[in-house]
Amino acid sequence: MEELNWWEKEKKKSLYNELKFMIPEILFLRGVFAENRKLWWVSFPFHFGLYMLLATLFLLFMGAVGMALGVRIASGSSACGSFLYYLTILTGFIGLTLGTIGGLGLLGRRLGDQELRKYSSLADYFNLILFSFFLISALLAWLFHDHAFDGARAYIYALLTIGGQPEGYSSPHTFLGQLAIVLASLLAAYIPLTHMSHMFMKYFIYHDVRWEDTPNLKGSRIEAAVLQNLGLKPNWAAPHIGADGKKTWVDLATSGSKESK
Amino acid sequence: MNPKVKPSDIAKPSQRLAHIEPGELPPLPPPYEDFNRVTLSALKEEKVAAIESSLDDTVVIAIPKPKNKEEEEKHLRAFLSGLRKLFEKENNWGFLQPLLLSMEHCARCQTCSEACPVFEMSGRQEIYRPTFRSEVVRRLYKKYIKPGGKLTSKLTGDIDLNWTTIARLAELAYRCTLCRRCASVCPIGVDNALIAHEIRKLFSQEMGIAPREIHEKGTLQHLRVGSTTGMNPVAARDSIDFIQEEMEEITGYKLEIPWDKEGAEVLLLHNAGEVLSWPENVGAFAIIFQAAGISWTLSSEELGYDVVNYGLWYDDVQLARVAVKHAEIAKKLKVKKMIIGECGHAHKALVVISDRVLTGNLNIPRESGFVLLDEIVSSGKLKFDPSRNNFPVTLHDPCNVVRAMGIVEPQRRILRKIAPKFREMTPHGVDNYCCGGGSGFAIMSGFNFPEWRALVSSRKKFLQILDAFKDEPQDVPKYVCAPCSNCKGSIRDILEYYHAKERSRIHYGGLVELIVNAMADMKKPMIKFDEGAL
Repeated sequence: MEELNWWEKEKKKSLYNELKFMIPEILFLRGVFAENRKLWWVSFPFHFGLYMLLATLFLLFMGAVGMALGVRIASGSSACGSFLYYLTILTGFIGLTLGTIGGLGLLGRRLGDQELRKYSSLADYFNLILFSFFLISALLAWLFHDHAFDGARAYIYALLTIGGQPEGYSSPHTFLGQLAIVLASLLAAYIPLTHMSHMFMKYFIYHDVRWEDTPNLKGSRIEAAVLQNLGLKPNWAAPHIGADGKKTWVDLATSGSKESK
Repeated sequence: MNPKVKPSDIAKPSQRLAHIEPGELPPLPPPYEDFNRVTLSALKEEKVAAIESSLDDTVVIAIPKPKNKEEEEKHLRAFLSGLRKLFEKENNWGFLQPLLLSMEHCARCQTCSEACPVFEMSGRQEIYRPTFRSEVVRRLYKKYIKPGGKLTSKLTGDIDLNWTTIARLAELAYRCTLCRRCASVCPIGVDNALIAHEIRKLFSQEMGIAPREIHEKGTLQHLRVGSTTGMNPVAARDSIDFIQEEMEEITGYKLEIPWDKEGAEVLLLHNAGEVLSWPENVGAFAIIFQAAGISWTLSSEELGYDVVNYGLWYDDVQLARVAVKHAEIAKKLKVKKMIIGECGHAHKALVVISDRVLTGNLNIPRESGFVLLDEIVSSGKLKFDPSRNNFPVTLHDPCNVVRAMGIVEPQRRILRKIAPKFREMTPHGVDNYCCGGGSGFAIMSGFNFPEWRALVSSRKKFLQILDAFKDEPQDVPKYVCAPCSNCKGSIRDILEYYHAKERSRIHYGGLVELIVNAMADMKKPMIKFDEGAL
């Protein structure tokens, strides 16, 4: 809209600019860093840790698929097997340590900072405690039983092969490992029901709301949607609106109100 | 200040939920230290006895207290009905998606609070925090609208619904200027200003409760008489004819203002407040358009000479009615496009929001006046002598133009060309601070609200203005360019309140006045400091 006759101009879109903004925003929480540094010190490790854990999950899945196809995922195996093996350890380690530090840090901030505490509900604390339980149990399971995530990979393998067990691996079935798996499953089911889904919803909020500026041009898809909505029948009750549940938005917008006559 | 106030306290009756003590507001620099202990005049007991005034130190809506329990219950039922309608597509299709996303995904991280000039400049009064009112609405929505909410409210955040809650919430919706600075810094994209806007809608569209200045004297008068100023078409033409004569006298330039010219390329729409309070702005636009050879016209039809749309601030139906009238006038005149003069909220109402209202033949292209002015100034059609503007100039960015529409550069390109001593405020552009008069505050004048505006909501802008001119000698005249009527009114009020004209020689005005002042063809200067309205 900074251009003369903007409606005649082609709408410029740039994937490069979008990525240039979104990658630092999603991975490093650029906005929180710039506007709320105090929170960033705990929010960044938490979120980055979770991204690393998602990456770890993906790598474990890839490893399990590889094993099902006969690829050995271990130190000193094929280049591909070794790469997956070490990369999983790296992302898993970073994810669990940063996630745990961040999760506990966020919980501490929410409890210790009056500005956050006043706006926090029991559900907010429960969410962070559930996350922290999972992260701590997974961290301890990694530390004491599963340094290379072989057990976690075997679990995914078992899911993929309906109970199968990778060749040469005997699952120790530790309490901490099982606890981490149960808590991770609970979280996966629970997150979409909470505001914590903002991690994923952010994409839609940015694209469909914050950046959505497609103009309503004649004959466009937007115009068709607007026309459809203008045909809806509101029932707002204030007298000046004049709605009766039968009049459409078009009727109301073109009628004026009784008070203004 | 009571730092312990929390969202659920809004339901607990008390004399006041927030109060500003002398010395609690952020300090002003010299020579304004004598204002540092100034606070709001107390509301007179007899004046507020029958109205709701328990939110803070001021009153905007003045809702009458219910006479009995039945009336109170009726209000509560209406409130809940309105709250439900905000979340229904047939009643709120325009804003439902961002509202739902803002309700569901706020992490309450308080990043927005640091960006809010009202919260910061109130000395961090808890109730002015952007998340405070949003959290109240969120809890009410979750408890009373969402299925099973009453059972889960202890977990998700409880709140009581009573007369005190809704009366305070109605007032609280009018302690936010809807500048949307909070939304621009939210890491998730939550829009707390939108929530304030939706509360206003609920009260207006369901309960018929809105400030008199924007409803009765605003949209209703606009639709009935033709202008929120009360000017009918005859008065508008007379006033502008008078402006035409005045302009010739001031600048020595022979001017012909075209009226109702069918087939003109441009329909210029002014905020009628300019006609009454800043007639030189209307005249300057006419001089520029005429000198540049633009094919343009004004409209003398009802609403055609007043582009304001107060519905933007509080009522979608009223907004749509005004927008449709504006579009019908343009259609009748067969113009190629509508140009919005120096009025920020009209930019947003007519260009952005109406984009989801106007269809078919009513969807006539609409453009910011800044863009056309930039084109004219850059084209070389006019000759300039920038030395005529050889005084410090700073630019106030109207929120609706920069943040809502991304129009940042055109007005700057103009100033760089015609104002050799142009200096930016910090921050500016899309990060600007509101003038403090946004969302109707500039025209709200009941009780002690103008004091609240000067002391709290406009304080950040005043500090920004002082900062922009901090290296200038005190006795040099300075110009705050405020290309928006509401902003200009608000800046006029703060300069008067703090005696900034006398103490720092700070003046204010629009953009077109500066353009005309620099036009080499003008026999006499348009801007004369220390004379007249400037």
